[in-house]
Amino acid sequence: MMDIGNLLLQGFATAGTPINLLWAFLGCALGTAIGVLPGIGPAVTVAMLLPITAQVEPTASMIFFAGIYYGAMYGGSTTSILLNTPGETGTMVTALEGFKMARNGQAGAALATSAIGSFVAGTIATVLVTLFAPLVANFAVRLGPPEYFMLMLLAFTTVSSVLGQSALRGMTALFIGLAIGLVGLDQITGQVRYTGGVPEFLDGIEVVLVAVGLFAVGECFYTAMYEGRSASDLNRMDRVHMTRSQWRRSWPAWLRGTAIGFPFGTLPAGGSEIPTFLSYATERKLSKYPEEFGTVGAIEGVAGPEAANNAAVTATLVPLLTLGIPTSVTAAILLSALQNYGINAGPQLFQTSSTLVWALIASLYIGNVMLLVLNLPLVGMWVKLLKIPRPPLYAGILIFATVGVYGMRQSSFDLFLMFGIGLMGVLSRRFDIPTAPVIVGMILGPLAEAQMRNALSIGEGHWRVFIDRPMSATLLAVVVAVLVLPRAMAALRRHRVR
Amino acid sequence: MTNPVSPRLQQTLVGGAVLLLALGLAWGATDISGQAGYAGVGPNFLPWLVSAALFMCGLLLLVQARSGGFRDLPEPSGAARADWTAMAWVAAGVLANAALITVLGFIFSCTLCFVLAVRGLRQSEGRPGGGLMRVLQDVATGALIAAPAFWLFTKLLAINLPGLTETGWL
Repeated sequence: MMDIGNLLLQGFATAGTPINLLWAFLGCALGTAIGVLPGIGPAVTVAMLLPITAQVEPTASMIFFAGIYYGAMYGGSTTSILLNTPGETGTMVTALEGFKMARNGQAGAALATSAIGSFVAGTIATVLVTLFAPLVANFAVRLGPPEYFMLMLLAFTTVSSVLGQSALRGMTALFIGLAIGLVGLDQITGQVRYTGGVPEFLDGIEVVLVAVGLFAVGECFYTAMYEGRSASDLNRMDRVHMTRSQWRRSWPAWLRGTAIGFPFGTLPAGGSEIPTFLSYATERKLSKYPEEFGTVGAIEGVAGPEAANNAAVTATLVPLLTLGIPTSVTAAILLSALQNYGINAGPQLFQTSSTLVWALIASLYIGNVMLLVLNLPLVGMWVKLLKIPRPPLYAGILIFATVGVYGMRQSSFDLFLMFGIGLMGVLSRRFDIPTAPVIVGMILGPLAEAQMRNALSIGEGHWRVFIDRPMSATLLAVVVAVLVLPRAMAALRRHRVR
Repeated sequence: MTNPVSPRLQQTLVGGAVLLLALGLAWGATDISGQAGYAGVGPNFLPWLVSAALFMCGLLLLVQARSGGFRDLPEPSGAARADWTAMAWVAAGVLANAALITVLGFIFSCTLCFVLAVRGLRQSEGRPGGGLMRVLQDVATGALIAAPAFWLFTKLLAINLPGLTETGWL
């Protein structure tokens, strides 16, 4: 316990240097801005900025990227409440009640409860990360390749088949991501795969390229092709303020949201969609004012999901830092940022890069305070961003996409490839093929393959190794359950109806 | 507003594309050696697995497309019919940028990309492209984004971006 306190203090010392505070502030401000702006999210922003990993030292850039990540969650709720076009998937639920509240002249209260709720949840979740991450890391040291492979398999399964409308399309996306990850040199033998003689492919396909292509360029194409005539109207802002009764209704929802969000974020079971919806359902059931839900807008319906979202986002750092397993797109890109530095995320990280880890955790505390200030008194400033007309906004995003993609490898070949992936992005939006499995698949795929082959080497070529070891067998059972249970339940329900 | 290509055909094409990709991966996998070592599976194992899985996915997508369409497909957002003229302008911007960035340098190439893309996006909103004044205004806006971005990333963050001259400012 003392130990954690000391390490955290050291973390604060590192994160509190003027230069690192500046990075944290820049990250939080940029994160809030891109969270507010439609059409650009934290994942693609971090991806576009990955080239800075060549210059900026790891601690500073991870503080910066983390600031962008949770800053976007704060900013995203502002857009959801005022514009009804959620900036991020995690803030989708906020739009349900928040937009209705804003319609009824309660925009200020909705913004306040979401910003303060995000702060409360973010801070509690950071305390939990501080306490739990070292424990998980200590435990994870004992895991071998078979267990790691199973954990990654679990991450693949949940990200592709639990989230989204259709497991088939999720799986298709996952295997496309794995295929992208195959391009380049095999990690174990150095064998060349799928380069087609193109020298650019030898290093593999950069995640910047795929993320920027799918999210930024694809979004821009999609807007030009289909969204030109979709109008969106902006709600009026008023003073950011909550009445005493609104406070009383908000705080239990914040705590419940945190309690729901955190565990989901830590599981390699991906994403903040499930916890936010769960929290919404809970609040709706428990509320003393059920008649306000879906009509004039209930404040609990904003407070709970917002807290759940931020708790889940903060908690994704636990599997990312302790196991090296990303459970969201942004976490996957943070992992590839670490890879750029040659840092392997995993239990050893707490020993080998202890300074970085603790500075990052300390910066979460600092960042949450910064974000509260940025998003409560200064919210009016960000709302002005919503007045930027769409054409120059999206065309401007293309310029920054070029910086990220070209800046990574100085190859105009990559810009043509980005165009192609942008077209794939349009298809995926049109046919509801999820994109998260593509990114997670391409980053985690090569790691999972290496773990699998190492595991099989331990087992001398026998697949039995995965069921002979109790931990690995348990995880395998969980993977099977995740795949089979929802379908079995659905089938059972259909059977009963008949 | 009728769609020239039926959703059924579109979905069939998507399923077919996934099948083709799977076959392409399988064809490529034949080139990869299978030296397995102690593991019993070599570098060609995952390629074959991915190819087989994608083949299955493509097949199932095709079956769904031919029998009532993709399951649980939410209504895609936006218009039913694509605005190809708008798309052509944006695509021209991105492709011109890719082709010219090493020739014109970052600032000019990105400004050109901006001007073409913004015209397409404005057209998609049903507003005409506008005359010379409009274009000049777009050029100015594009340059005002591209130039500071160039200086910020090359000077401050030392990211390599191509310039037109050796001065590092243009």
